[in-house]
Amino acid sequence: MTSSWSIRTALESDVPDIMALEQESFATDAWSLENMRLELLAHHTVYLVAHENEHLIAYAGLSKVPASTQSDIQTIAVSPTARGRGLGRALMVQLIGEARRLGATEMFLEVRADNPVAQGLYSSLGFEHIDTRKNYYQPDGIDAWIMRLEFAKGVVGREPIVLGIESSCDETGVGIVRGATLLANVISSSMEEHARFGGVVPEIAARAHLEALQPTLREALAKANLSLKDIDAIAVANGPGLGGALMVGVGAAKALAVSLDKPIYAVNHLVGHVGVDILERGKIELPTIALLVSGGHTSLLLVRDLLDDVELLGETIDDAAGEAFDKVARVLGLKYPGGPEIDRAAVGGDPKAIRFPRGLSLPKDMEKHRYNFSFSGLKTAVARWVEVFENKGEEFNKADVAASFREAVVDVLVTKAVAACIDHGVPRLLLGGGVVANSRLRELATERCAANGIELRIPALNLCTDNGAMIAALGAQLVMAGRKPSGLDFGADSTLPVTTVQTL
Amino acid sequence: MTNWLLSIDSSAGTTVAVLEGGIQRAEINIPDNMSHAESIAKAIAEALATAGIKASQVSSVAVGRGPAPFTGLRVGIASAMMFAEGAEARLFGVVSLDAIAKAALEDSALLASLSAETPLLITADARRSEVYWALYSGLTKAGAPIRIDGPGVMKPAALEELMQQQGLRPIITSLPVSATKLGQVFEAQLIDGTADADVTALYLRAPDAVPTPAKKVTG
Repeated sequence: MTSSWSIRTALESDVPDIMALEQESFATDAWSLENMRLELLAHHTVYLVAHENEHLIAYAGLSKVPASTQSDIQTIAVSPTARGRGLGRALMVQLIGEARRLGATEMFLEVRADNPVAQGLYSSLGFEHIDTRKNYYQPDGIDAWIMRLEFAKGVVGREPIVLGIESSCDETGVGIVRGATLLANVISSSMEEHARFGGVVPEIAARAHLEALQPTLREALAKANLSLKDIDAIAVANGPGLGGALMVGVGAAKALAVSLDKPIYAVNHLVGHVGVDILERGKIELPTIALLVSGGHTSLLLVRDLLDDVELLGETIDDAAGEAFDKVARVLGLKYPGGPEIDRAAVGGDPKAIRFPRGLSLPKDMEKHRYNFSFSGLKTAVARWVEVFENKGEEFNKADVAASFREAVVDVLVTKAVAACIDHGVPRLLLGGGVVANSRLRELATERCAANGIELRIPALNLCTDNGAMIAALGAQLVMAGRKPSGLDFGADSTLPVTTVQTL
Repeated sequence: MTNWLLSIDSSAGTTVAVLEGGIQRAEINIPDNMSHAESIAKAIAEALATAGIKASQVSSVAVGRGPAPFTGLRVGIASAMMFAEGAEARLFGVVSLDAIAKAALEDSALLASLSAETPLLITADARRSEVYWALYSGLTKAGAPIRIDGPGVMKPAALEELMQQQGLRPIITSLPVSATKLGQVFEAQLIDGTADADVTALYLRAPDAVPTPAKKVTG
């Protein structure tokens, strides 16, 4: 399942292995060994090879003449046994990055007219079919499609300054990054307005976004010491989240892009939570398992490539973990938001006093829901437990209930996340989302990851909660990878799947 | 220097116009009232292109404040706000019903027939079997509609009763909003000195949510 290949620059000693794959892939029109060797060693080319278990399984090459701003994909071949796992895409992404680094502003390639799979890959990377050469591939007499990718304008050769807007729930976030460097991260929350309802009210959140937009934007620009004219691209979270709330950010971001005449990138909110790690470490170590826990989401992801390969392993089938904290806080007569209140109430409580149910953890559930979560039954169990005492008019130990409930939530979250790491042979776990503020979650994750040799990443809290910086960071990654900007007609998608990192 | 105005209204469908010194240079109308987030920015870009100007040439932005149902209205205001930030343009709000009144009062016969007992009543669909409404007595010298009551939201029967109580026999009109008319209302208000920088959304209804106690789970 995992990408166990490694990609590196090709060496002269790779030529025999490359030739074996070349002849297998292009039986009728393969290059000669001597041509391949000269091509590989030429100053104007970059060739990459991919190995798995010490076997060469793919190669690809790029040509970029110093005097020109054009670059060309010379060849790409993936061994038949290694296809369908995203290796071709991984090679292309790396070559696009190389071409940009060398100062190219566009990239060309030829692809057989009878190869829809390859055409699909190139289209998804932003290449457009601009011309057709008749009978290009001989002796078969197959036409060649000429495809072109225009790199995002104005940012070639330096790190782009990207402004990100986040409005998927109750936080209005505007963040600004330069490449992988955080310049500003301003968050305005409507949390207090939701307090008397015990949970986020979508209409109240959406109204608050509209009011917070302009001051949040201005404060972010002031913090970064920039004006809007300095911004190279706009990024916005277009889902998943609350539809009406997302639409405010989407409308705002697009109008900003139009008024500044700058490209816009519509990005996935959840993938933003993963990508935020780049702002603290300059890069993200992959593959990684990511556990995203908030009032709206409880998702377990396997991320092999931030831009191209994010897989949803599981998610909650009912309440989000943060929602469970809020609901149980109400049951215990505590305030909203429930997480910090329950943390406080649990001080001195015995987490083992009451064995509350661990949702979807029984063997029969684990078959079907190995990485899924359920917190609705747990909430009911706590409510039932409390009511039994209340009906009898008896006192109960609130600290024990709070500690035992919290332990049940955190235990399931960490158990399933660690299992995902072990099952997939991925020794990394990244936490994200507002519930990461919970002290016991951080504690137990630290403990269990250490015991299992898993590297744990917990970004700073203001990067874990919903924020615009993570959206800007993901947008900057798309710009730097030479991705095509989104059009102006994307909408908000409240159920956007994690596999859609960018909506074009 | 030419005075370029971008005018946006999303109280019903999407309507975007570019005006030069009060004269329409482009207008885009998208009647669909479910696709504001998808369509407004594109409509702005198209209107600018049709008018042959760059975003940075826009000196003022006027936006319809409603009244309107929630979601679409917000997208229009958010778009206007952010466009104004990016283009460094001044931002103004206009009551959307005023733009409808402006269009209706271009009919000089209708304008002449208005009196104290016979004002112009503009209504617009507010969903939930209610209407948004406002009453107008005529136009200012500069051409801005004179609103004498409203905007409000109520059931049509209640509105009728209200008119009767006040001894009014209004001329009732309901037309789609045109961004050009909205822009012209703003231009007239600018001359009258009544142009308003307030772009707060006129929802006229509180959010539906009501606080409830936690539910019992045991019988």
